[in-house]
Amino acid sequence: MSAGRGQMKLGAFLWATGHHIAAWRHPQAHVTAGIDIDHYIQLARTAEAAKFDMIFCEDAAGVREANVDIASQTSRSIGFEPISLLAALAVQTERIGLVSTASTSYNEPYGLARTFLSLDHLSGGRAGWNLVTSASQIEAANFGSTGLRPHADRYGRAREFAAVVAGLWRGQGGHEGRSFSVRDPLDLPRSPQGAPVMVQAGASDEGRDLAARTADVVFTAAQTFEEAKAFYDDLKGRLAAYGRKPDDLKIMPGVAPVVAASEAEARAKHDELQELIPDDVGVALLSSYLSISDLSRYPIDGPLPQLPASEGMQSRQALVIEQSRRDNLSIRQLARHFAGARGHWRVVGTPAQIADQLAARFEGGAADGFNLMPSYFPGELDAFATLVVPELQRRGLFRTDYDGSTLRDHLGLKRPA
Amino acid sequence: MASGATMHLAVSLAPETAPSSPSDVVPDFSLLTRSVQKAEAAGLDMVLLADSAPVAGGPNRQMRFEATTLLAALATVTSRIGLIAAASMVAHQPYNLARRFASLDIISHGRAGWNASMMPDPREAANFSRPEGFSGDAFRLRAEEFVGIVQGLWKGWDADALLFDKSGGRFFDPEKMHLLDHRGEYFSVRGPLNVARSPQDTPVLVMSGLSEPDMDIAARTADVVLLDQRSIDWADDLKRRALAFGRRPEGLKVLMNVVTDGEMAAMPDMFADRLEECFRSKACDGFNIAVPLTSALDDFIGLVLPELRRRGLVRSGYSAATLRAHLGLAGEDRQ
Repeated sequence: MSAGRGQMKLGAFLWATGHHIAAWRHPQAHVTAGIDIDHYIQLARTAEAAKFDMIFCEDAAGVREANVDIASQTSRSIGFEPISLLAALAVQTERIGLVSTASTSYNEPYGLARTFLSLDHLSGGRAGWNLVTSASQIEAANFGSTGLRPHADRYGRAREFAAVVAGLWRGQGGHEGRSFSVRDPLDLPRSPQGAPVMVQAGASDEGRDLAARTADVVFTAAQTFEEAKAFYDDLKGRLAAYGRKPDDLKIMPGVAPVVAASEAEARAKHDELQELIPDDVGVALLSSYLSISDLSRYPIDGPLPQLPASEGMQSRQALVIEQSRRDNLSIRQLARHFAGARGHWRVVGTPAQIADQLAARFEGGAADGFNLMPSYFPGELDAFATLVVPELQRRGLFRTDYDGSTLRDHLGLKRPA
Repeated sequence: MASGATMHLAVSLAPETAPSSPSDVVPDFSLLTRSVQKAEAAGLDMVLLADSAPVAGGPNRQMRFEATTLLAALATVTSRIGLIAAASMVAHQPYNLARRFASLDIISHGRAGWNASMMPDPREAANFSRPEGFSGDAFRLRAEEFVGIVQGLWKGWDADALLFDKSGGRFFDPEKMHLLDHRGEYFSVRGPLNVARSPQDTPVLVMSGLSEPDMDIAARTADVVLLDQRSIDWADDLKRRALAFGRRPEGLKVLMNVVTDGEMAAMPDMFADRLEECFRSKACDGFNIAVPLTSALDDFIGLVLPELRRRGLVRSGYSAATLRAHLGLAGEDRQ
């Protein structure tokens, strides 16, 4: 143990061919990931052998990019539906946690609670749900909506949704609310870990309050130590109002590592990926994170224009704008930068350098752990597992084996009453 | 085969399929795995997984698993047998349901199917923010639209849409991805699905719980229809209607639900006689055998199946990889 902070938590965020937008073009990326279940079983086993707390799958109920020409240059329009994927992985692994995203806008709480509880039973208490409210027009168009719900409405629905799910997991039924009504308790036995783990990622003011009230784990995006620390202190500070202690919620920022035996090799590896990003794809990805569709009509070598407030991801938008102003970046530069790590923290270097940087944020009280976003699969997950994890273990910063059997055990979370 | 036709066989496992007798034991995944692997070793076409809604007064034995998640897990411990999960059209939105089953079909390498019940369950509506429930007609119209959306979404990507061209920078061919652009009475769904095309063209659609006004929907859309003994006379009618919709009657398989009883174990030959008679006299393509207890599965596989096989009614083992092929439906196209 070091510095009295215990050990960090690690999630392996699995996503298609990799988190880098051009990952699928990398010579060593497994390009058929989206239709190959054996590939995912292998990734899950790699993460489990490295003693990760959990694997994590994000989700959207629609394709990622409305422009078909742009979409066809990325691998993200097709993949497994994550609940079926994790149910398959549940019986092909033994210890690692299994967390999937699911939307409060396009599900009903009874069905979602039941499905995740089933996943929890299949895995012997290793399931978690990452609550998102969904902010894309593409998804809305698959559910009969004429448009996106306003931000505050989405969170009102999400608050009610989360409360109903938590109640159902405690064995309760009987809810009559503004958005939902549920008569009966669930027809499944209680969770092996008390209740599946509840995860959230929204970083807006409403998102933080919802997390402080209900989440066990929060994923977040933070570029600098200061941003990460400010978010960490703010969110932990909100817990007392809901009768919770700082340790009751784990904050795990995303990190996109590029690791190699030498720093020069790591940089070369990163540059190789950046070179594979077509400009139109980078600009489209940046546009979608800013929730506007037409960044391509501004000069690509000019600065980011003034943008109106959007009903999409408010916190993410602020992060992008802040970075562009801080580093005086052109649209092209910003697009490439964000296309690579999607606004998350990127660390490039040797295993010792990466361990140093993770340790600094962990020991500096800016993170309880990290959600790892490998640039391409399986290579970069393998590299982190075989190079960085042993370095963290040598320093006493990460477990060398699992102590318990459930995801709550791994994360050091209490069983809910 | 004596008659040239193959009797298709499915078994229905209630998720609470128990070791020997009803008790308060909740079966775990390994027990269900053993049952499905037995059915696979016997060469059966498919296993149907029920999905129960809460029962008034509480279930006497709780189930542990929701059917689609159970199907995903079973897909990784089997390799040939078809796997059908029940999923309610009240509990799911069509886009989500289409996606779940498309994904299950890829996980299982083309062995997945959806059992769509045409029987509305008012208790379910009460848990899905629909306390007013559905009238019979509204449920039917909504179900027809729902099924159409799901089958349309399943065809959103052509089989050869994915190019994986790393150096050329094209992951898929934009001409081979199709929007659904459905706007109907109950749903509007733009599409496309964010899951690739099924290895067996589309997941198999099983339709159950039919009442007479549902016959056209089933004849037009279903791959397999499950009928109870009292409605098995509809089989001919269903096939005629399928023909009227431009389908080959052989492209729609009608299975009769059979409840196992003490007679099956005591007199397996007589049980086989009854199945054979029904298979030869009606337009019935096979049977869906309910096996609430693992002993019933053992009896069917150990006592009845060898007799059916001896009579040349059932194929021995699997000759293909996908469920659609097991059912003799490969290459069939619906309207």
